[in-house]
Amino acid sequence: MKPFFNNKTNISGMALIAAMMLFNVWNVIMNTPMVPEQHWAQKIFYVHVPSAWVGFLSYFIVMVAGILFFMKKDDYWDVVGLAAAEIGTVFMSLVLITGPIWAIPIWGKPWIWEPRLTTTLILFLIYIGYFMMRTFGGHIERVKRYAAAVGIIAFVDVPIIFVSVKFWTPEIQSHPQVEMAQQPSEILIPFLLSLSIFTLLYILMLKYRIHVIRINSRVRADV
Amino acid sequence: MFFTLLKKELFVEFRSREVTLSMLVFGLSIILTFALSSNVSPTIIANYAPGMFWIMVLFVAVIGVHRTFSYEKEFDAFSMLISAPIDRGFIFLTKWISGFIFLTIMEGLILIPFFKFLMIDFPSQPWIAIGTTLLINCAIMAIASLVSGIAMRARLSEVLLPILLFPLVSPVIIAATKISGSIMVGDPYSFWKIWLLIILTVIVIFGLVGYTLFDFITEE
Amino acid sequence: MLSVSNISKSFDHRTVLNNITFHVEVGETVILMGKNGAGKSTLLRIIARIMACDKGEILFQNNDLLKGSPLVRQKLLYVGHASAMYTILSAIENLQLALTLRGTPVEISRIQDQLNYYGLTNQSNDPISIYSQGMLQRLKLAYASLASWQLLLIDEPFSGLDTEGIALVNKSLHRWKKLGKSMMIVLHNQSRAEELGDRILRIKKGLIA
Repeated sequence: MKPFFNNKTNISGMALIAAMMLFNVWNVIMNTPMVPEQHWAQKIFYVHVPSAWVGFLSYFIVMVAGILFFMKKDDYWDVVGLAAAEIGTVFMSLVLITGPIWAIPIWGKPWIWEPRLTTTLILFLIYIGYFMMRTFGGHIERVKRYAAAVGIIAFVDVPIIFVSVKFWTPEIQSHPQVEMAQQPSEILIPFLLSLSIFTLLYILMLKYRIHVIRINSRVRADV
Repeated sequence: MFFTLLKKELFVEFRSREVTLSMLVFGLSIILTFALSSNVSPTIIANYAPGMFWIMVLFVAVIGVHRTFSYEKEFDAFSMLISAPIDRGFIFLTKWISGFIFLTIMEGLILIPFFKFLMIDFPSQPWIAIGTTLLINCAIMAIASLVSGIAMRARLSEVLLPILLFPLVSPVIIAATKISGSIMVGDPYSFWKIWLLIILTVIVIFGLVGYTLFDFITEE
Repeated sequence: MLSVSNISKSFDHRTVLNNITFHVEVGETVILMGKNGAGKSTLLRIIARIMACDKGEILFQNNDLLKGSPLVRQKLLYVGHASAMYTILSAIENLQLALTLRGTPVEISRIQDQLNYYGLTNQSNDPISIYSQGMLQRLKLAYASLASWQLLLIDEPFSGLDTEGIALVNKSLHRWKKLGKSMMIVLHNQSRAEELGDRILRIKKGLIA
């Protein structure tokens, strides 16, 4: 297997995405308007929401990979599931960090049981269990099946978790991003740009992680 | 085959009484701990009672469902089931139903100590409370049976089971607490209809998912 | 009767079975031999669908055993190392359960007869948790005698048995062979293997040697 960055597409993709991300940061800081009452704190949404989007997308991919693993009995889908689970958890961690950072100046406290954040926290805990199961589940060939099953169950539970948390504390208002679609273009366009760049970054990270996991598997098999 | 399996689950438990006894004793211990650690007035406890009840049920369900799968590992008894020419989804269904029965029996025995030790009034609509409790038990055991099937062969199965189960069952616990709380104060059905729908959704979805996935997770 | 193609199995990337391919004809007795850890029991458990394989195909009576309906394994019986029975139940109760699950329930009198034959008369109503290794082995053979099967997968049938038990098992295996039933037996004893088997398959380093 060739090193990942020996491939011209991969190396140029990385360079491009790095450049786009730098532009994104500059754009968010310099070009996006200040929202009254929230000021600088609001700008964290250009990172927070795309991170959440990538996290949920990743967990969706874990579910799809799990289904395909059972259907096709191909180890490739286990690798995809594991890579997506890892990256999804990284981005969910970002969500859980950036959320309170925004919340402290706006709500006056780092955490309230807001539906999206709470759903993120519950999913994050499910995936901590997923990784523990991967570690303590037994031999790797058996663990692959269990991991696929947990990945399917976890995402199937997501809409149920979200609805239940939403109705649990209806008095807690959601993040303002629920009104993102109605935002003026000077907020909406940079937001959509950030979302796209995060998605491209995710695709590159996923490809890279799949590559590394496959190399690791081969090394372990040879040993 | 389904009824043979279900009879087996109930008969083994009737013979050993390990599951219901351990659930009952553990449940009583939890209630005692709640009572001793709650140094507040009964009015305040009444507000927290639904949550305390369902936390106790959840902890007890973990003990019970772990035991129902653990005895399958003794003498490799589980091989009898999975090598038999039967639909393995039936194994999930019978574990689910038998777990539901054991949990309900335990709750029936523990209800009076719960209310008396914590000095709470019984619900004004007991039959509605019983009916909704049965549905909630069903939802909890659906998820618990599926997760226990996944965790049963793992190295730290007794630790992995609650770690995987608790976040997954959180919507059920939220719904259960809301339903019980509403019924305790005599709220009309419209107040807690949405929570009942969530419980029913969990039962249907996890019932289907468990039945489908069990074939893939039972093999070594 | 049985066609195993390219079955592979690894545990934590250590290959135990590597593209195992063989057939068992109707009425044939195939002996599986090999060192400890060679993969003999693993192979039987994969065929019995107790253990998943990493890849491969198994046809039993021309039906796909791995992907087909559970009924495909109705005429396939696996008797492994462990008793595969419930410790809290008695021998009679365990056999009743196992046979009912196979779709072939048997009257208690017949079960009792077989238990008598295998020398378990006095313990037939006791929970099997009190049984010795030898008694459990006899119980497994009683199960094999009562069940309806065309292919028997049996792992070390003589293990833990006294002289009388060995004679009983030997007699049963020869009887089934005479009846034209197919068997795959894991054995360690070369002379017994040559006496019982029509063919010996040796597993060495994951391959059939």
